[in-house]
Amino acid sequence: MFKKRHLLIALALAGAGAALQLTRGTASETPTLPPAYAPATRDKDGLIAAAGLVEAVAENTQLGSPTSGTVQKVHVKVWDKVKAGDPVITLDDRDLAAQLQVQLAGVVAAEATAERADDAAKRWTGIKDSGAVSAGDLLAYQVAAKEARARLALAKAQVDQTRVLLDRLVLRAPIDATVLQVNVRVGEFVAAGLKAPVVLGDIARLQIRCDLDEQLAPRMRAGLPAKGYLKGESSRVGGGERAIPLKFVRIEPYVIPKVSLTGGSAERVDTRVLQVIYQFDRPADRAIFVGQQMDVYIDTTADAPRK
Amino acid sequence: MYRLALNMLFGDRAKLAMLLCGLAFSALLMAQQTSVFFGIMSWTYTPVHNIRARIWVSDPMVEQANDAKPLRDTDLYRVRSVDGVAWAAPLHTSFVQARMQDGNFKLITLIGLDADTFAGAPATLSAGRIEDLRLPNTVIVDEWGAQLMGRPVVGPDGKETTVPLKVGDTFEVNDLEARIVGICKVRRAFTGGPFVYTTYDRTKQYTLGARRTLSFMLVEPQPGVDASALCDRIEADTGLKAWTSDTVIWDWSDRSLARNTFWWFWKNTGIPFSFGTAVALGLFVGIAVSGQTFYSFVLENLKYFAAIKAMGAGMGVIARMLLVQAFTAGLLGFGLGVGMAQAIGRAMIEKGMPPFVMFPQIFWATLALVLGISLVSAVIGIIKVSRVDAATVFRG
Repeated sequence: MFKKRHLLIALALAGAGAALQLTRGTASETPTLPPAYAPATRDKDGLIAAAGLVEAVAENTQLGSPTSGTVQKVHVKVWDKVKAGDPVITLDDRDLAAQLQVQLAGVVAAEATAERADDAAKRWTGIKDSGAVSAGDLLAYQVAAKEARARLALAKAQVDQTRVLLDRLVLRAPIDATVLQVNVRVGEFVAAGLKAPVVLGDIARLQIRCDLDEQLAPRMRAGLPAKGYLKGESSRVGGGERAIPLKFVRIEPYVIPKVSLTGGSAERVDTRVLQVIYQFDRPADRAIFVGQQMDVYIDTTADAPRK
Repeated sequence: MYRLALNMLFGDRAKLAMLLCGLAFSALLMAQQTSVFFGIMSWTYTPVHNIRARIWVSDPMVEQANDAKPLRDTDLYRVRSVDGVAWAAPLHTSFVQARMQDGNFKLITLIGLDADTFAGAPATLSAGRIEDLRLPNTVIVDEWGAQLMGRPVVGPDGKETTVPLKVGDTFEVNDLEARIVGICKVRRAFTGGPFVYTTYDRTKQYTLGARRTLSFMLVEPQPGVDASALCDRIEADTGLKAWTSDTVIWDWSDRSLARNTFWWFWKNTGIPFSFGTAVALGLFVGIAVSGQTFYSFVLENLKYFAAIKAMGAGMGVIARMLLVQAFTAGLLGFGLGVGMAQAIGRAMIEKGMPPFVMFPQIFWATLALVLGISLVSAVIGIIKVSRVDAATVFRG
């Protein structure tokens, strides 16, 4: 009897104890862990953030073709450094080359004709006897010689023209630059004015084009310093300083619609951005490529230096 | 005297059993139903548990954690421009249909994490590496999802079993391949299906025709900056809505995304009503059964109380005796009932279904209610005994 009472009490105590123990496990909060890779972190107040895109200084040259034709030879590869005037692409020149042969032959023929007419004119002009040739005939010989010389000059000019046209089939680099893209292969057709067959850019120095939301635009001033964090570099081994100091270049005077990157067919733009250009020197210890994205923090607390 | 009271209580076994049954049953009903209720309700703010960040920023019209209203991509940079913010990362959440290899469709909760930092990534992966999400067309699914989306296989004995998805398996989202590179351990959600993590940029391909994919922004305050104060500043500067991520729904802060989600479901669904009815039933049954049993117990022992009275004991002594009897029965009934509730709870937690969350508050509230029932029973008994004439004992 006495024992049973104790058993009951022990059972109740055990039940309550187990329940109390269960309450501990269920009320816990999941801890907030830092992200696996350190994000670009603000270290002070007064910073405004922007999305940046790395591009070549003085923008990229989309090299165009003045004429249509098939590609005969591609002189460059991606990464090649070209000097101004170096050939980049040669278009098919067989029709003009054939024409040139004909025209060169024409020059030889015109030369022969001119020589003969000249000779006749000289011979008849040299005769002292005034009765041997009439004044009319003499004039005719002299005009014929002049005409033959003019035809020779014409034939030579046509050859020069063809040579210039032939030269125009060779696309040359207009500036000292690095080849960023080669979009054609030998045998492909290049239409005048369409897709740029080759993209050139000066990538010795890079600049960064920052998109600043129009609502942040009032806080932007010329000359503000900034720091950039390359996307995808959070996993950088060694944990060195990620931030790249940026030098102010200019503010684009025209606010443009933000380029949305969804790739949808019915793309609509809902915000406008102020574009700000910054420049930076290539860091020696890492590779940076044109087209990479960067998180940019612009320091609005700094005094903007007057130019 | 108290020993006498306890002997009276334990002496009548049939009455005691009846009394304890009523009390234990009402304690069980109240504790178990409330725990299942809070378990289901805790599923509503699962995203706050599964995607860890100190502050969440959303569209001003968002009311709770499962409600994603798309933001503009540049809003991320506006939030990053608020003083006191250490960093901000984009987050996409949406419910999409996934097509299994067997042709079946399943609703999944698609989570797009910032591929640069993996801010908000699940804390524990049971297989794979989070970095593999940087590979093309890759996802990480949770364990429950791996089971749910698994392949049905007919064994040699003709019995159909489900083989859970594993690393390397694929399914389709929006006609695009999704290759599993990891399995994670996260909590289950009230809405939508399993959690499928991928990178923020890839959600643009996985979601059909959605132009804007930024649902939330995860924000970390600078060291020493109070999260709630920073929320105020983010709201003032950007016009967006900022939430803290504490999941203690008892915390009366209006900034907590978990608490707001909890109350949103409280107001907008019938769950609290149905569970509230069950809890109220437990309370009424408890009061009725134990009150009635205790009253009949007092009635039966009325002659003894009259004798005690006749021996010269005051009403105060008798009242204390009755209180001791009622509270002893109450505590025993509570212990037994709550013990049964926790046993059921542990079995449920083992199975994971239905959810069971016994907050300490549930434990203490049940205790208070059971003691309240005991008090009511005791008071009824005291009133009865106080009215009895001491002479009763001599009348037989």
